[in-house]
Amino acid sequence: MSRPRRVLLAKVGLDGHDRGVKVVAAMLRDAGMHVVYLGIHRTSEAIARAAVQEGVDVIGLSSLGGTHLVHAHEVIERMREERLDDVPVVLGGTVPVEDIPALEALGVRAVLRPGASRDEIVATISLAAEAARRD
Amino acid sequence: MGDSDLSRALEQAYFEAAERNETWSGLPCREFYGPEHVAGLDYGTALADPGAYPYTRGVHANMYRGRLWTRREVCGFGSGRDTNERMRFQVANGVSGLSVIDDNNGSLCIDADHPLGIPEAGIQGVSVSSLADFEAIFEGIPIDRVSVAFDISGLDSIAWMALYVALAERRGIDVAALRGTVQNDTLHFQYCGYGDSCPVDLGLKASVDIIEFCTRRMPRWYTGNVNMYDLREQGLDAPQEVAFGFGNAIEYTERAIARGLGVDEFAPRRGFYCSCHIDFFEEIAKLRAARRMWARIMRERFQAAEPRSWQFRFGVHTAGVSLTAPQPLNNAIRVAYEALAAVLGGAQSIHCCSYDEPIGLPTEASQQLAIRTQQVLAYETGVTRVADPLGGSYYLEALTERIEAEATRILAAIGAQGGMAAAVRSGWVQREIDAAIARRQQEIERNEKVVVGVNAFRQPRETETPGGVHRPPSGQGERLAEAVRRLRATRDAGAVRRALRALRECAGLGEKENLLPALIEAAGVYATVGEMLGVVRQAYGLPYDPLGTIEAPRDLAA
Repeated sequence: MSRPRRVLLAKVGLDGHDRGVKVVAAMLRDAGMHVVYLGIHRTSEAIARAAVQEGVDVIGLSSLGGTHLVHAHEVIERMREERLDDVPVVLGGTVPVEDIPALEALGVRAVLRPGASRDEIVATISLAAEAARRD
Repeated sequence: MGDSDLSRALEQAYFEAAERNETWSGLPCREFYGPEHVAGLDYGTALADPGAYPYTRGVHANMYRGRLWTRREVCGFGSGRDTNERMRFQVANGVSGLSVIDDNNGSLCIDADHPLGIPEAGIQGVSVSSLADFEAIFEGIPIDRVSVAFDISGLDSIAWMALYVALAERRGIDVAALRGTVQNDTLHFQYCGYGDSCPVDLGLKASVDIIEFCTRRMPRWYTGNVNMYDLREQGLDAPQEVAFGFGNAIEYTERAIARGLGVDEFAPRRGFYCSCHIDFFEEIAKLRAARRMWARIMRERFQAAEPRSWQFRFGVHTAGVSLTAPQPLNNAIRVAYEALAAVLGGAQSIHCCSYDEPIGLPTEASQQLAIRTQQVLAYETGVTRVADPLGGSYYLEALTERIEAEATRILAAIGAQGGMAAAVRSGWVQREIDAAIARRQQEIERNEKVVVGVNAFRQPRETETPGGVHRPPSGQGERLAEAVRRLRATRDAGAVRRALRALRECAGLGEKENLLPALIEAAGVYATVGEMLGVVRQAYGLPYDPLGTIEAPRDLAA
């Protein structure tokens, strides 16, 4: 039996809307994943550090404050610097559909928008983690 | 779809029955209500005419014939100038009150040039670091004549009061003429994602400072609007919204009395900010129940003698959380129902959400539609003619009683823990919120509640946002940060240093020493919000920077 997928969730930047990320954390735990939720107001440094310490398979960023492009860029850059680019980043939150190509171009593996179902969320995270192991 | 599928689908839909027979909050409902279900209800003591205690039917006898509700739309993005332009656009489109909100930096009381704040500057609200920003926001706006609402709750409340008074002084306006509202619900920051910036004790002290200062100097100002809306947005139900909100309101009331104010001195200038969610009758009943409860709390518990102290006056924010990202235009319909419930519930002021709220920040066009929604309601539907038009409905009166009973039970549970501040500190409030969050999610997944476009009547997701997306101009954060750096370099450094030292001195004098006079002095010489709250935090043994990133300026250290 393989070890459970390890997921790091965090809110990056100063946005305080954390209801969604808590729901996602519970969903992933229910699906048998090991979830570390870092909380609000996390910096890209703190996220990269925790990703190493926790040995996670995938990182989930929550953004409901309109700064997803800036913060996704920051986190992915930091991950590259730390040679963590094999850990995929999934972003969820209030993201206009028009921004998805730009996020993907930055290196975001997948984007989950409001209204995403439990199945979609669990499948997206699992797939990202799976892909990372194969890479 | 084949012919047999079509026939089956149509037949099934035709015979479909309403499945859910409990309210959004889970209160069970009968098929119909009659006189026996309100048999215990005495008109004189439980309802009374609109304008009479306990105000179940409204705080004014003539209600909207006396004055329509204030049509406000929350406003704030980019620089003070950007926000000023958007407010002018709103006024040109017929709003009747202004309402300003700050960005995340503002909520946390850090300046636009804070290293972690630059990308956030001007995004979720207007960027305010100093009086210079207030001068830009209110450029050409006669603040002695218009009513302004500040949609801010944390320690930014006291900073903004200082900035507004400093602005009035600069313009030679008597501060007693200022009219408006500050939310000033510092406790609510503990469960809304900004707790670090606003510790419970310092927050409560600042809240009472505002109540005290305004009671003495700004008699037309509403000193606080308890934010029941954000509680509801967290997933709590209607009775919890009332009970938790009242828990906060009671905490402020008790502390203002402890400061030495008479209840009738300040209670007439307190207000509430409610949600109006999607369950139509439940929301109307909630607002009516809240009015009756608050009147009794103020009269019986706090022995208030002034009728205005008994009155539950409130603004409504339609429920952002009821809106969906899929099929976003449906949100305009939800908002209209919710605003209608607010009016039938007797709201004093309404903000309608923009339909694109789950997608991003509102565009000019989506905000215009929100204003038009209020105008169709106010001018076309005729709902303004008669006060409390649903009063006496067997169902509504029974539901009003049910919500009051439930909210009273929860409020007693909060009281038993020593009040809301204690319940926040012990983690009880957060646990209740977390449980509610999980419950709400389950309801959608198990199809216990239908949300059109989410768990029913789905369509392929939109490939573009109808009406387009609001985009902050690129480089906005850096420009706003640069303006603050420039200000720091050009202002009278000696005056700032003296004012900040005096402020820290004052903050060190303890709980009862009102911080506002020293804050107003500092605001007037262009000390920044980050600096002002930073030295106050230091006096309270907290780090200068709530995010623990920057140090106090060297010439302020020790």
